[in-house]
Amino acid sequence: MSFDIAVLGGGPAGMAAATTAAVGGARVVLLEESPAPGGQVHRAPPPDFVGKPDADRREGDRLRAALAASGADVRTGCRVWGLGGGPLGPAGEAAGPFALSALGADGVPFAVLARALILCCGTHERVIPFPGWTLPGVIGLAAATILLKAQGVLPGRRVVVAGAGPLLYAVAAKVLAGGGEVVAVADAASRGEWIAALPALAARPDLLARGTAWRAGLLARRVPVLQGSQVAAAEGDGVLARVRVLAGGAECILEADALCVGHGLVPATEATRTYRARHAHRPEDGGWVPVLDDRQRTSVPLLYAAGDGAGVRGAAAAPAAGRVAALAALDDLGLPGERPASGTAALGRARRAGAAMARMMALRPSLVAAIPPETIVCRCEGVARAAIEDAAADGAATVNQLKHFTRCGMGPCQGRMCGEAAAAILAAARGVPVAEVGFATGRIPLRPVPMEAILGEFDYGDIPVPAPAPI
Amino acid sequence: MTARFDCAVVGAGVMGCATALFLARGGMRVALLDRGGICREASGVNAGTLTMQMTRAALIPYALRAHEMWLTMPQWCAGGDVLATACPGLSVAFTDGEAAMLEERARIRRAAGAPIEMIDGRAAQAIEPGLADGVKLAGHCPIDGFTSAYLTGRAFRPALLEAGVTLLEDTPVRGVDERFTLDTAAGAIAARRLVLAGGAWLEDMAAWVGIRLPIKVLVNQLVVTERMAPVMRTVLGVASGLLSLKQYANGTVLIGGGWQGIGDRARGGVSVRPENFLGNVRLAAHTVPALREARVVRSWLGLEAETADALPAIGPIPGVEDAWIIGSVHSGYTSGPYMGRLLAQAVLGQEPDLPLFPIDRLLNERSNAA
Amino acid sequence: MSLRIAGIARPAPVTITVHGQPVAAHPGESLAAALIAASILRFGEGEDPARPRTAFCMMGVCQQCLLRVDGRLVQACLTPVVAGQVVSAA
Repeated sequence: MSFDIAVLGGGPAGMAAATTAAVGGARVVLLEESPAPGGQVHRAPPPDFVGKPDADRREGDRLRAALAASGADVRTGCRVWGLGGGPLGPAGEAAGPFALSALGADGVPFAVLARALILCCGTHERVIPFPGWTLPGVIGLAAATILLKAQGVLPGRRVVVAGAGPLLYAVAAKVLAGGGEVVAVADAASRGEWIAALPALAARPDLLARGTAWRAGLLARRVPVLQGSQVAAAEGDGVLARVRVLAGGAECILEADALCVGHGLVPATEATRTYRARHAHRPEDGGWVPVLDDRQRTSVPLLYAAGDGAGVRGAAAAPAAGRVAALAALDDLGLPGERPASGTAALGRARRAGAAMARMMALRPSLVAAIPPETIVCRCEGVARAAIEDAAADGAATVNQLKHFTRCGMGPCQGRMCGEAAAAILAAARGVPVAEVGFATGRIPLRPVPMEAILGEFDYGDIPVPAPAPI
Repeated sequence: MTARFDCAVVGAGVMGCATALFLARGGMRVALLDRGGICREASGVNAGTLTMQMTRAALIPYALRAHEMWLTMPQWCAGGDVLATACPGLSVAFTDGEAAMLEERARIRRAAGAPIEMIDGRAAQAIEPGLADGVKLAGHCPIDGFTSAYLTGRAFRPALLEAGVTLLEDTPVRGVDERFTLDTAAGAIAARRLVLAGGAWLEDMAAWVGIRLPIKVLVNQLVVTERMAPVMRTVLGVASGLLSLKQYANGTVLIGGGWQGIGDRARGGVSVRPENFLGNVRLAAHTVPALREARVVRSWLGLEAETADALPAIGPIPGVEDAWIIGSVHSGYTSGPYMGRLLAQAVLGQEPDLPLFPIDRLLNERSNAA
Repeated sequence: MSLRIAGIARPAPVTITVHGQPVAAHPGESLAAALIAASILRFGEGEDPARPRTAFCMMGVCQQCLLRVDGRLVQACLTPVVAGQVVSAA
């Protein structure tokens, strides 16, 4: 199937980009992995689940309704695994359309060709390892948000919420509202960091008010909030039973059956890396991000990035960025048609507030420094901190070389969970800035893909086996 | 100030590393330079195959000796280990045409010294229970195996340092003057001898010393699955050589065979070709049906060099005294360490244990006229 | 106390089989959420570094919640519950 514009990722940026592009007259396809568009913040509940809608849900429903009315071809539940075309052609050949390989919700493979591609791939969560972080019962903060808001399930009965950023308080409030107990909130940020963030947050009074309400709710329920603290260990026999938290030089032991922990969000750049776009390391944006111009263009012609995947600014800033990207794509393709206002003033305000939160959620070197030598960093491959430091001593200079030396990041998640911590450990061991150790080369598949699903029906004789090498 | 070396080896892949190591052990002061990290190109990203059944007949005697070197690597490489594993190898034919090709190729390789016997499908399944039904004929070679190629750089590094090699990674060489002073990012490096070991980039390097040596670049694709329960225990290929399949101790299955992706010297490996990705995994799943259960987690590309006659370029560079070249060895990883040792013998003024592959045959006299 | 939050209307529960045991779950909810709600936190045992498998990121990234459902390898967090599913370790 051929389109003018393909949008990868159906969060707020992707929904707005697809809507704007379709309304602007382009033939548009939106590809989303989840069963419904929405993204993590505006995630739709499962079909036929009806709860009390909140502000996020209402904004999500608005974006979904606009998308549905836009005429964009929306494909949910599909797994895009192959990226090709565009700049990835043979030398000397003109760039062709972007070519995406995907599996539909029904498991049937399909291919998409698009003249322009807008990447709205969002983020994944950063969890800086600590002893016991792989124990069942320990889940991400963003994971807890999805569980609570979209699925209506508590992560546990006695919950410790730990890490950094506004999600801490959102999750704690949701657990309380859902009837669970919050044993404590262990916030890596000090009180001073929050006070310093206030002026920027004032650009978004709605968010500030919501955050204040969350904090007041915790206070009313006498939930201890431990500022400037960190998880020392998660412990239990097979599943989580208690959490050791270091706060103010003292350690407290908290009985809990769930630990929701996250230290910020990392832009998902696997697609921009695969397309070999230029990237820059910006800790305040979440780490490595594609380099963009003021209209969300990457360094690769007709390839755009918007939303948190282009630098963490939050869901509120994402739709405006998606619109800007779509308008740029419409112009770059020379498509005539409507050009709705992109709302760049709102984008500016949302970005200022988002930036303050993003700084709070940036990688904290002190947490990386605290990882004990025997603690697993890459859980797919079982690579501990000490193994990373040994590799550094043996001459591993970059993240790609570290992979070769240790298998760190070679497993099914392809370094998405461990990549940042591993890079920080490697950089610290070498005594260089983290940007200097680089990032893993992007390669397909974008997600693990079942062989059965891509093989399809075939006859042996139809496999186009190339001519053999000379004997 | 310029450092002085007895020999500068440019290119820290498996051949450059082995050459540098044995030169240093032979008493030379050696600098080993690479524009990137050690064994980060083809030597670190290939399929780690130690098979005789994809090796060119002329290289079998070399590959057999290299096989032994890989399996004993910790002993001669200061403990450096690529987890080399010995196991039987099978090359299978599903059609009559493939069976004929297999028989012919096995005969030639056998004559060159590879102990390949022909067996039927049932016997092949006894050796490899994971093998599909429908195999008409199989070449069985008891000498086969594989390494974890990504470990190659880490395996060579301590031995090189212990032998006194000056290892200069991330040090691109911009050019070489007639007295073998290398213009590098780290300053000038002077050497009495020069070894070019640049893999797919040998053509550019040969130009430094005024030689036009056409090198074709193959862009080999590889695919790996996530860990799965044991589904196979041999190295498997097909008669055409377009499949190489093995399962590692950690459960991952590596699928290769030289299907071509997109890439070039300037950009490296750029992209997998989807149709070749599909062809390769279909061939794999046809050969080991249990692979249908697997999930693919990663694909990648490695650049392999090939001369006009697809035979190695190993020997002195004609007309340039004390300059040598090594590379373009078909299935070069398999034979690599032995080739490096041979060239080191020659550079040290010894008679190599087996003949080199001088490049005079590859040079167009007119374009290389002095 | 149920881990399912009250006040949300859900489709009537169905039965799925998890590690050989019947488990009640609501059609359409994610399999990972259904298992957590049933206090099944260990999704699969084994010797791999990635074991025991468990829900961790809930958004399809970490690959830790891999399960075999009706014979196919799936990520529990991206797989909706359907009546009669047979779920075992991957």
